Amino acid sequence: MATTTASLTITSNDLVGDALSLASSTQLNKAGTTIGLDQTTGMARVYLTATTQLDIFPVLPATPAGQNLQSWVYICNKSLDETEFITVSIGATTIGLLYAGDFMWMPWSQIAAKADIEIAPSTGAAAAGIHVDYTCMHQGITYPTSGD
Amino acid sequence: MATTTATITLSSIDLLSNELALTTTSTLTTAGTATGVTQASGLSRKTTGSFTPDSAAGIQANVLYRAGDYLADGANKVYIKNTSTTVAEFYTVVIDQEVIGRLYAGDWMFMPWIATSGTKQVFTVTFASTWAAGETWTFDGITMTCPSATLAAIALEVDKLNYPNWTTTHVVGEATVIFKARYASDATEVVYATADATIVSANPGTAAITSAAVGSASESDITIRPSVHTDMTYETMLIHQ
Repeated sequence: MATTTASLTITSNDLVGDALSLASSTQLNKAGTTIGLDQTTGMARVYLTATTQLDIFPVLPATPAGQNLQSWVYICNKSLDETEFITVSIGATTIGLLYAGDFMWMPWSQIAAKADIEIAPSTGAAAAGIHVDYTCMHQGITYPTSGD
Repeated sequence: MATTTATITLSSIDLLSNELALTTTSTLTTAGTATGVTQASGLSRKTTGSFTPDSAAGIQANVLYRAGDYLADGANKVYIKNTSTTVAEFYTVVIDQEVIGRLYAGDWMFMPWIATSGTKQVFTVTFASTWAAGETWTFDGITMTCPSATLAAIALEVDKLNYPNWTTTHVVGEATVIFKARYASDATEVVYATADATIVSANPGTAAITSAAVGSASESDITIRPSVHTDMTYETMLIHQ
């Protein structure tokens, strides 16, 4: 098994009255175990020039291999223009907006046929072109069967 | 403006043949600007589980953040951590009705949040006919006792009270009070509001509900559901515009 660690720090001296210095770290394990995750899509970087909403991982079928197992999703907007953002959605529900330099890290249960992870660049971002990084570390993903 | 930074590090020497050592730092700014976010919920901690009175009837989801309380389309960020140390215990994180994923013991997440609210139900109550001092009108569990027979004074008295699920507005001198739901919800609430008001007036006074506008449910409330009845604890913080 592999040992993979995800750590987060959030710091600020002036966001609230007390200095903020939050640190969290976790090892990425298979669901309900202490066995490390051993699969990943690898870190992808795409350059998007349209506002089209895209699935960044294989579309979830009726019985996903990873449903209710443990998966983690990382997405980062690599733009340097503060006005450019991407909209991140899960199925038909919008999660939030990632502006230039923003990242997200969240678990993903891969609920069948409705929880695809999608991104869509803003109009300005698409016009200028935007780089987005993303990866998934997981316990299983169903890849589409080849049509050839 | 405040300066707040978030840094994520993903590391592994054996997940791949190549060492994974990713570090990304983001300065948290308001949407589309270089201005730092200035508001935060503060880091909070809550234990869920066995203390819940009705836990025997089913595990209850906890609402972490209601979209209607925050700016939609802002550069909001949500942090959630399951501080449990029992490996098999998890929280299921849900946005609207969509399951995002599970946070097992020690797991944390950090994600943007669009905070798309629905619309809040609104209705108007008009006091009319004959009322007398001491008569009552009850709504949302709160009872207004007429200070006098003057309709405008009655409406003012209604406006002064605090209702758990509604806010009110009133124009001095008028006999009407506008009620607005504190939270966005679906259309069935109008029926509830109409039926819930109780008049105790011998004269009789009336309090007609008119101009009701149905609401629509929020599209991005964040809730979490523990996997067990026994105590589990989570931490959360919202940094928002």
